[in-house]
Amino acid sequence: MIKLLKPLCAALVSTTALASFAHAETLTILMEAVPDTEYVQALVPEFEKETGIDLEIEVVNYAEMHTKLVPQLVAREGSYSLIVVDFYWVGEFFKAGWMMPLDDYIAKDGFDVSPYVPAMMDLVGAIDGTTYMLPFYNYAMGMLYRTDLLEDEANKSAFKEATGMDLKVPETWDEYLKQVAFFTKGDMKGVVNQGLRPDPIAMEWSNYLFANGGEYMDDTWTSTLTSDAAVKALDDYKTNIDKYGPVGAASFSFDEAFNVFAQGGAYSYITYNFFRAAADDPSSSQVVGKTGIAPVPGVEPGKTGSLNGAWGWAIPKSSPNPDLAWQFLKWVESKDVAVKRALQGGSPTRTDVFDDPAVLEKYPHMADLKALLLGSHNFPTFTYTPQFVEVLGRELSLAVTGDKSSADALAAAAEEFNELAEKDGLKK
Amino acid sequence: MQTRIEAADQRFGWMLSAPGLMLLGAVIGFPIAWALFTSLFDYTLIMPSYDNFVGLDNYVTALGDKEFGHAAWVTLTFVAAIVVVEFSIGFLVALMLNSTERGRGIYYIILLCPLLMNPVVVGLIWRMLLHPTLGIVNYLLGLVGLGPVNWLGDPTNAFITVVLVDVWHQVSFMIVLLLAGLSALPREPYEAARVEGASTLQSFWHITLPLMRPVIVVTLLIRVIFAIKTYDIIYIMTRGGPGDATDLISYFIYRRAFVGLNLGEACALAGLLLAVIVAMTAYLHRVMRKV
Repeated sequence: MIKLLKPLCAALVSTTALASFAHAETLTILMEAVPDTEYVQALVPEFEKETGIDLEIEVVNYAEMHTKLVPQLVAREGSYSLIVVDFYWVGEFFKAGWMMPLDDYIAKDGFDVSPYVPAMMDLVGAIDGTTYMLPFYNYAMGMLYRTDLLEDEANKSAFKEATGMDLKVPETWDEYLKQVAFFTKGDMKGVVNQGLRPDPIAMEWSNYLFANGGEYMDDTWTSTLTSDAAVKALDDYKTNIDKYGPVGAASFSFDEAFNVFAQGGAYSYITYNFFRAAADDPSSSQVVGKTGIAPVPGVEPGKTGSLNGAWGWAIPKSSPNPDLAWQFLKWVESKDVAVKRALQGGSPTRTDVFDDPAVLEKYPHMADLKALLLGSHNFPTFTYTPQFVEVLGRELSLAVTGDKSSADALAAAAEEFNELAEKDGLKK
Repeated sequence: MQTRIEAADQRFGWMLSAPGLMLLGAVIGFPIAWALFTSLFDYTLIMPSYDNFVGLDNYVTALGDKEFGHAAWVTLTFVAAIVVVEFSIGFLVALMLNSTERGRGIYYIILLCPLLMNPVVVGLIWRMLLHPTLGIVNYLLGLVGLGPVNWLGDPTNAFITVVLVDVWHQVSFMIVLLLAGLSALPREPYEAARVEGASTLQSFWHITLPLMRPVIVVTLLIRVIFAIKTYDIIYIMTRGGPGDATDLISYFIYRRAFVGLNLGEACALAGLLLAVIVAMTAYLHRVMRKV
């Protein structure tokens, strides 16, 4: 009997010890205050119940994230077990060697990365064949528009009379600009913009650049921002703010711009796709059920001007407990949990979540979001992307305020881009 | 010649001050020295190492940087604007409060409220109030047929707006300091002046102003030193924009360090700012010793 009891006691003791050890472990994650973070937070109790691990999610505004992360990443042992990485920090974090390769974990647990949209893995997944991140959510930009205004018969006939075109979801950039002008009447504006420097304006204007057929650079990492298409894109942006947008759009961050759209003040808003779900939230929106999202139209039908964007999960090399971090990561990125996040309104990065019947049934616009993501363009990512965004934001803002001409502002941005690319050893 | 007792006193004095001095050295002296040391190297957070000694290169780059020059100019005009406006309002209100007998405590509480608020909160609240289409300020202006005013979207307006928000936030500081000075003034000169038939304006000009001079100088200097370091309101309200209309030095340095990750250059810039502030503080110290 005693012989039997001994191993039982030992097992009991070790289980209790393990359980209390595991319970004592805390995972700390720094995340941005965005809807997708809330969807993760809502599911945290499930994870804690399953594993006994305490999870602390520190939520801060975007503007503070980089500042908070860097000192922790430079340290030998930081306080964050797991972090989320914006796509344009990827080059910098990689170069500095702050992220831990995940391939061993992936292989050990047989985690399948094939369902991820390839563009997502390129942006916030693998670098030079090594996986450093798992794509968390996408924020590819699209065009939010008012479906009720497009379907209105009086608007249809007035638009036809004014332009000779049918009023429908715009298929080309030119058609979109005509609609923006058409819908600007008194307090109602054709478009609302997010002109605050640096990233709101830089990200939004990127859509204008691609929509006009422009690009940031050629194959040799030489800037093409001085092209006619880029100059026209900036002229269009300035015209939209000055002539067809609400007063003050030159200083709006995305929340302020969205509020104007959500209060019914504008026909359209080119923004992050996660605002599509927010537009249907009656607690913050007056345009519930009256909003659609489409890829930003391009120079011709079938081409889009949408900017791609995404966040990835990464385990920093300074993580105090990387194994536990991986345990959470593979849970939160499993198909089941990814579907649960999408059902709350999250922006997927996995094709199997986009195609999930339950997700499609609840959000029929998920098909639009998938199309938007598949056709979107990438922003140049390299070590100095954050610096380039800062430069671009400053120059675009100078053009919007009229302190510089579009051509001069873009020439200055192009010059600094070339210098940064050269400094990073990318120039061919 | 120092006597033995004096020498022992001095030793004892040093002994008593030592813990405090050591603490100050550890939390202030050491980081400053380290920052100045870093400013002599090509030190970035991407490649943190002290291998590349560059001497004064970072300072030369900083001083030759047009954007930094512009930020310095904007900071100068910003400081001049807020100090002049805050002093004018502050002195006027302090004079009024000084001659008020009843309810002074209530005025104090009301005036101190903004000062107790965190600048980040102040910035966020005002950004909301000043939203051009959804904010209450433009709504109220609209009721009397004015506006809408583009508070933060136009370069000139944005500069004036951040100045006014700072005035709203910090003017009580001036009031409190100047009021303390005013209430400490002796009564006799005023009584003598009244007997001689001096007008209120004459009393102010020939008695109040000369007697208040040291307090005014100290108040202005303290305010200037704090104003040069303004960062929070800009960060929250304008991010230096629109264009570069409100790009202050502190925000510029922050970007060099945490966006550009160029710590060497950021430390050099901070060193330059520190030199200006130290010079002003030294002058302040001299003035205060005379008082």
